[in-house]
Order: sequence, then C-alpha cells, then structure tokens
Amino acid sequence: MSDENKSSSVPSAGEPVATRSAAPMWIIVTTLVLLFIGGIYFDRHSGWFNPKVYAPYTSAENLEGFQPQSGAAAALARGKKTYEAVCGICHGPDGLGKPGQAPPLAGSEWVVAKGFNRLAHIPLMGLAGNIKVAGKDWSMNMAAMGAALPDDDLAAVLTYIRSAWGNQASAVEGDDIKKIRSGMGGGSQPMTHDMLMAMPE
Amino acid sequence: MNLTENNSSCDREINDSLRVPLLALFGGAAVWLIVGLVLGLIAGIKFHAPDFLGACPVMTYGRVAPAANDAVLYGFCIPAALGVALWIFARLSGQPLALPLVPVVAANLWHLGVFIGTAGILLGASSGHTWLEYPRAAAVILFAAFMLIAVSAAATFGWRRQQELYPSHWFLFAGLLWFPWIYSTANILLNSHQLPRGVVQPIIGWWFANNLVFVWLALVGVGTAFYFLPKIAARPLANSGYVLLAFLTLVFFGTWCGIPQGAPVPAWLPTLSSVAAALTLVPLLAISIVTLKTVCGSNVSCKGGPFCFIRFGVMSFIVSGILYVSAACPQYSRILNFTWFGAAQTQLQLLGFAAMILFGAIYELLPQVMGKPLPQPALAKAHFYLSMIGVLLFFVPLVLAGVVQGEKLADANIPFADANTAALKFLRVSTTGQMLILLGALLFAVNIFIMTIQWKLGIAKTVIAYIKSPLETAEVKS
Amino acid sequence: MKTGLSIFIAAFIALGTSWCGFVLAPLLQLGSAQQTVILQTTDNWPLQRTGAATLGLQVYRAYGCAACHTEQVRQTGSAFEVTLTSLGNQKPADFIEFTKSLFVLPGLANYTNAIAASLNGWNGGLPKTLLTATDKDVATEMADRLKAVGVKSETAIIATGPDIARGWGSRLSVAADFLYDQPVQLGSLRAGPDLANIGVRAPDANWQLAHLYAPKSVTPNSTMPSFKFLFEVRKVGASPSPEALNLPKEFAAADGFEIVPKPAAKQLVAYLLSLKANVPLYEAPFTPATAAK
Repeated sequence: MSDENKSSSVPSAGEPVATRSAAPMWIIVTTLVLLFIGGIYFDRHSGWFNPKVYAPYTSAENLEGFQPQSGAAAALARGKKTYEAVCGICHGPDGLGKPGQAPPLAGSEWVVAKGFNRLAHIPLMGLAGNIKVAGKDWSMNMAAMGAALPDDDLAAVLTYIRSAWGNQASAVEGDDIKKIRSGMGGGSQPMTHDMLMAMPE
Repeated sequence: MNLTENNSSCDREINDSLRVPLLALFGGAAVWLIVGLVLGLIAGIKFHAPDFLGACPVMTYGRVAPAANDAVLYGFCIPAALGVALWIFARLSGQPLALPLVPVVAANLWHLGVFIGTAGILLGASSGHTWLEYPRAAAVILFAAFMLIAVSAAATFGWRRQQELYPSHWFLFAGLLWFPWIYSTANILLNSHQLPRGVVQPIIGWWFANNLVFVWLALVGVGTAFYFLPKIAARPLANSGYVLLAFLTLVFFGTWCGIPQGAPVPAWLPTLSSVAAALTLVPLLAISIVTLKTVCGSNVSCKGGPFCFIRFGVMSFIVSGILYVSAACPQYSRILNFTWFGAAQTQLQLLGFAAMILFGAIYELLPQVMGKPLPQPALAKAHFYLSMIGVLLFFVPLVLAGVVQGEKLADANIPFADANTAALKFLRVSTTGQMLILLGALLFAVNIFIMTIQWKLGIAKTVIAYIKSPLETAEVKS
Repeated sequence: MKTGLSIFIAAFIALGTSWCGFVLAPLLQLGSAQQTVILQTTDNWPLQRTGAATLGLQVYRAYGCAACHTEQVRQTGSAFEVTLTSLGNQKPADFIEFTKSLFVLPGLANYTNAIAASLNGWNGGLPKTLLTATDKDVATEMADRLKAVGVKSETAIIATGPDIARGWGSRLSVAADFLYDQPVQLGSLRAGPDLANIGVRAPDANWQLAHLYAPKSVTPNSTMPSFKFLFEVRKVGASPSPEALNLPKEFAAADGFEIVPKPAAKQLVAYLLSLKANVPLYEAPFTPATAAK
C-alpha cells in the first residue's frame, strides 16, 4: 500500500506508528450534510427550547392548537391567572388580604353579595375611605386596578374570587361588565362606601 | 548493538515499574468480572423462574441486575482499562511508570469502592439512578482512586521522551479528563441529600450514562485497539486523518447522545440527542475504515490470540454503535424504547466491545510485564471462542426479543402478557450465552491468578534464598 | 493534536458544551419548577405525597422496581374527537343519509371512509364517536354542520398512542408529574407494565398487597417475583387482623395462620396508589371524561 511509504514518525522500540494523511473531503462533506439535515430536523421538532413543548407536539403553536378553549372551567383558570398577577399582590393568593394593605376577599360580604354590581365598580373605579369588610373596619385606598382589563378578563377575575376560597356566588359574564362599564358615565372619582351603598346590588 | 541494549534495559524498567500496579488492577478486575457475571446469570435465571432465590431480599432482581451491570463496568471494565492505559502510556513514553506506588494504592482503593458499592446495592442502599447506584461512600472512594491513577498516567504521559503524540494518546488522555468530570457532576447532583427537582435527575443521569457507557468506553476501547492492532500486525495505523476526525466527532457529537425519545422532558432535549446520534455515524464510519485498512492484508495468525479479541471488540463496537444510533432514531425508538433492545446494546458495549478489547490487551501485555509466557495459553484460546460465541448468543436474541416485544407493545390490542412471553423465549437463549461468557471469564481468571501466584512464589523464593545464603557471600557481593 | 494541551482543550470544549446543554440548562430551566394548574380548573398538580407514599418511593428504589417497570407514558399524537350525544329529532338511518352529504365538503372528504365505516351497522346507540381528526378545523366544521341540523355533539381533545390505548395513562408523562420524586424512577425496561397510572388502574390497596405477596394470585400469567419477605406470616391471635390478606386457597397461609403486610409493603402500596397520569395539563392537554358533566 502506498500509504505506508508516507509514514514519517520514527519507530521507537517497536511502538506502533500512524500513517500521515488528511481526512478525505467526502467524509467531511458527509458530516456537514448530516449537520445540516440535523439542523432542519431540530428546527421542526424541538419547540426551540420551550419548556412546555413535549413530543409529539413539535412547537408552541402546535401545542396551543390542542388547548381546550371554552367552558366555565377555562374562565375560572383564566380568572385565577389574572387575579394572581393583578390582585393577589395585595389581597394575597389565598384571598385573605394583608393587614395594612388590603382587606380579605375570602368570606367578604361585598364579594359574595347576590348581585355583583357594587363589587364590579370597585376594580373599575377604585375605592377610597372607610369600609367595613367581614366585621372589621378598613381605611385604604385602592386604584382602579381593573379599569384597563378587558371585559372578559375582569369578568373571569370576579367569577374566580366569587367561587374560590369557600366563596359561593354566581358567575360574572363579559357582557355584564360591558353593561356596567357603559353605565358608569365619565367620572373617574374612586368609589366610597356611601356611593357603593347608593347603587343597586 | 548499543541501541538494542538500551531498548531492552528500558523495556525491563518499564515492565518492572508496571508489574505491581497492573497485577493489583487486573487481579481485582478478574474477580469482579466473575462476580458481575454470576450476578448477571442469577438475574437472567429469574426471568425463567421468577421465584429463584426469591425468599431473600438481597437477591431481588431489582438489586441483582444493577449490581451485576455495575460490577462488570466499575469492577472490571474501568480498572482493566486503566491498567491497560497505564501500560500504553508508559510504552509510548518510553519511560517507566511515574509514581508507581500511587496506582497500587489506587487499585486497592478502587476495588474497595466497588465492594462497598456492590454490597450497598444488594442491601438496598442504591441511589436509584442507572449506572450511579453505588452509594455515596463508594462513589467518593472510586473518584479518589480514579484521580490517583489519572495523576500517575498523566505524569507518565508528560514525561515522555518523544514529543510527538500517537492517536491512542488522544483517546486515552481524553478519557482521563472525561471520567472525573462526569462522575463528579453526576454524583454531586444525584447522590446527595437534596436532589434536583423532578426530571432534571434523569436528564443528568442519561447524560452521565451516555458519557460513561458510550463515550468513555469508546475512548478507552478504541484508543487501546488503535495501539494493539497495528502493533501486533506490525503495520502502521492507517490514515491518521480519519483517526483525528473519528476522535473529534466522537467527543463533540457522542457526548450529546443519550436522552431517549419520548422521555418526559421538553422536546428539545431528545431532539438534540437524536441529531447527535445521527452524527455519531461519522466516527463509527471513520473507525471502521481505519480498522479495516489496518487489519486487512496483515497476516497475523491469531487463532484465538489477542489480535482476535481486539478485532472482535472493534466489530462489536461498530455494531453496538449502530444499535445505539437506531434506538435514537424517532421512528424506531417508538418500537425499541423500553424493550430488551436497550439491554442488548448495553451488554454488547460492555461484554462484546470493552471487555473483549481489554481481554486481548491483557493477554498481550501481561506476559511482557511478567517476563514469562501465559501459563495456560490453551485456556486463553478457549476463552476467546467461549466469549465470542457467548456474546453472540447473549446479544442477538436480546435484540430480537426487543424488536418482537416492541412490536407487540406498539399494538394495544395485544395483551401485555403476550408481549412479555414472546420476549421471554429469546431470553432463554441469551441466558445460555451468559453462561458461556462466565465460563470464558473463569478461564481468564485462571491465567491471571496462576501468573500472580507464580510471581509471588518467585518473590518468596528470592527472599528465602537471600535469607538462607551465608552472610559472608552477601557481604562480598555488596 | 500535536500536544497534550490541544487534546485537553478539545475534550474540555466537547464535554463542557454538553455539560452546559444537558446539566446546566435543564437545571436552570426545570430545576426550580413549581406546581402547575390542572387544565381548566384551579387545582394544583402534582400534590405532595403523604408520608407513607414518600417512604414507599424509597422502598420502590431500594428493591429496584424500576429495573422492570417504567413510570412514563408515551403519546404518539393528539386528535379531536367528535362524539354524537343526541340526534335531536332525527332517526339514525336519516342521520347516516345526512352524513353522506357532508363528504363533498373539502375538509371532510378525507374522512369519508372512516366515518362511513364507523356508522356501518350502527343502531343509534349514544354517545357515538363520529370522527377523529388531527385537524382542529375539520372537527369544528363537523360540529358546526351537525349543530345546523339540530344534532348535538361534543368535541373532545384526545391523546393517542398504544400506551394510552392500554389505559396506562390519559396523556404523555411530563416533567411536572415528577416534581416531588426523590429520586425519580423513570425506568427503561417494560418487563412489567408501566406504572405511571397504576393508582387509577388498580386503586384497591388489597389487590396491590395480594399482588405483591403472590402475583399469580391476581394475574395468573404474571412473571413478577413474589415479594413475600415484605409480609409476615403469623399465628392468628384472639381475633384475625383486619389487615390480613384475603387470598385464594392455594396461596393462603395454613389454617390458624394469617398473612399481614409489614410497614414497607404498606408504604410501597401507598406509593403505587399515588401514581396517577390522568389529569390534563397545559403541556399535555386532553378533555377528561368527567369534564362533560
């Protein structure tokens, strides 16, 4: 074989030597082609490092397409998510409120009232001054935290707080919030206890 | 001639420095190999008679099977590979082993670690992660022992006379770095009081298992084969360009394999692994080309000699690599995952590839180190044929069992029990294969122990002769 | 590869990258995972195990159960399943005639044969699965067409695959399922069936205990070894123990003796019963059977 003539290392004490030659082009090209195909495969199946995408789902969009998108339970889950992002910071994820920050929602007569008209006004307009919640007096100011939320989201939050932590009251629909919003007029004054009591339940 | 004299005195120094460490490493390794194979046989029999030794919690299948695998890998493959690597480093450096006492201590430490580990698994102290079952105490000892041997090997490597490196250097030296890194990472994270959350554990476990059983064994096995094949054939190793490519692609792509398809982990992990597995075909191809070019045309009459062992080992490596890649292929993995196929691949990697190459290497180097031929060369020959037939009878039925079982499991209309029974028929044959491998390993141990005993008797004789010799003569001599 | 340093650097970079990818990245991405919410509910998943079940995982680990059992459900795909719940005032025969008019629609044309085959010989029993489609639009179109003629239907998201068809789980296993497992025992061989959903498949603790003591007493063709050493055979005292196993004759203890589980057996069973893969999650969505209520 001609390869053997190229051997250049000095053989020392019977140790093996290697013939010198460069790797041929074809195997390097094969490697690169495999890398390229592998890249395409990765692009199509990996979900690009998304921690929620598992095979057989191939991408975040593919997974999203198989999500159930209706039903009361879905609204509840959405309400919980929004509540924890917006309201839970002060009222607590357990709805028990925080002394000096916000009154409890769990067991609050305002939350579980038969109608939700008064309740809905609080996040829409904000609240100021003294208010009695679950037998305790609170004097806190709350900004109109819900004014910027879409109708459906606010409805979902209200539905959630009316049914979580042992509360049991009826659900709120997006259309109800729409009606309440349109009936509010242009005022931006926060609600007070008296103003709430003046409006229908 | 002056040069030859120099060489032979140098050879003698090298052999003298290696004798004690290698006997310590190989002797213990032979014991563990037999322990591992006996435990493996017990585990195999349990599939035909579920209640065999069933009254004894120590002999539960779930304990015996991992103890058997670990004894073969940690008890035999790793110390034997380290011994062979020490020898190759010393030979290629043209220098006696550096710090020769260190590997002697380390070898005994290592075998102590394997003992604690095996006992730990059998008593129920397994960590529960595949290939990491050894309890913490054993893992610490094994790590320390490896580091000691690695220091001696690296020092021998560093003090080499000739600066130019031979391809085996790349593989074996990379192996020295590989093991401490993966073993410490995996044990710190998975063998601790507070484990990482959820599936992070198996992900790290798969990374470790792949890097140990696939990459590390490939590094030391192929490195050893690339030393002995050209040496025995008295030909140069063909085409170093292919070898370099094989080395680089093996370490860069092989290390990313191992996360199985369909595992409960985000899709990017198994996807990355299957891409890497496809790329691992490149080193497999390059290694087969180099081996073919080196071996073909050489007229070594090896009839069961070291050359046969090593050639068979490289062939097993290629087959085992192809099985590994096909199991990572998404279409096949649906069928092959969770079946005997995986076990078949692992056993071929351990017993067909790593162990066979190490047997060959030990049969080749031990007579040189001891300065006398193998006491029972016929047994070594028989060992080869027993092992070869045993490995084939062991893994081929397991592969078939895996495919049959997988196809039946993929059809939900076939009851689970039917899939199981279909696989068990094949397992009967593979248990026979296990027995043959065990028989071969016993012959191997016989040769090693006879050599050790002869050597110890030799030492004893010298000592006695020295004591008995008249005082004056000793004084005159000195 | 001229020097030791260059080998060191090549090996270091190679192993370093995979260490970052398969050790560091998963630790960062999944290592601080928290409970997630079961799809369409406000309930958390998974729940922390009871004390006995947590100890049971250690029994499972110590006896190496994972050598033969996996705890992971695989899924090969997802689909939308349209099921008829009420035909309104139509008769089954009329409805079958009506479905033929649907097949000219472009989306549904591909399902002609499947629908025709499933309705062949149908006598009007409800609920009746009409269509299984991987394309959401097809399922929606079908549901809309049915609604237009007064036929009520429900569209469910289902997970498909042999594991799921065997009842080994309702959907694929995901990282969240293993949040509290120390150690996680995924397993890699199914010499025995998958256990990811065993708490739902065989919720009877007595069945589980009998199966551990004498597997063949409850599944005659089982190849599982008996775990008799997790039980105690003792003389019946003043009155039989309420925990004593109730076994068929050939497996039962001799007269005057009873077989009672040791604590490890009870813990192991508590752990097995805690294994469930039947709740939908965002990353593994499906419509649970109870959601229709």
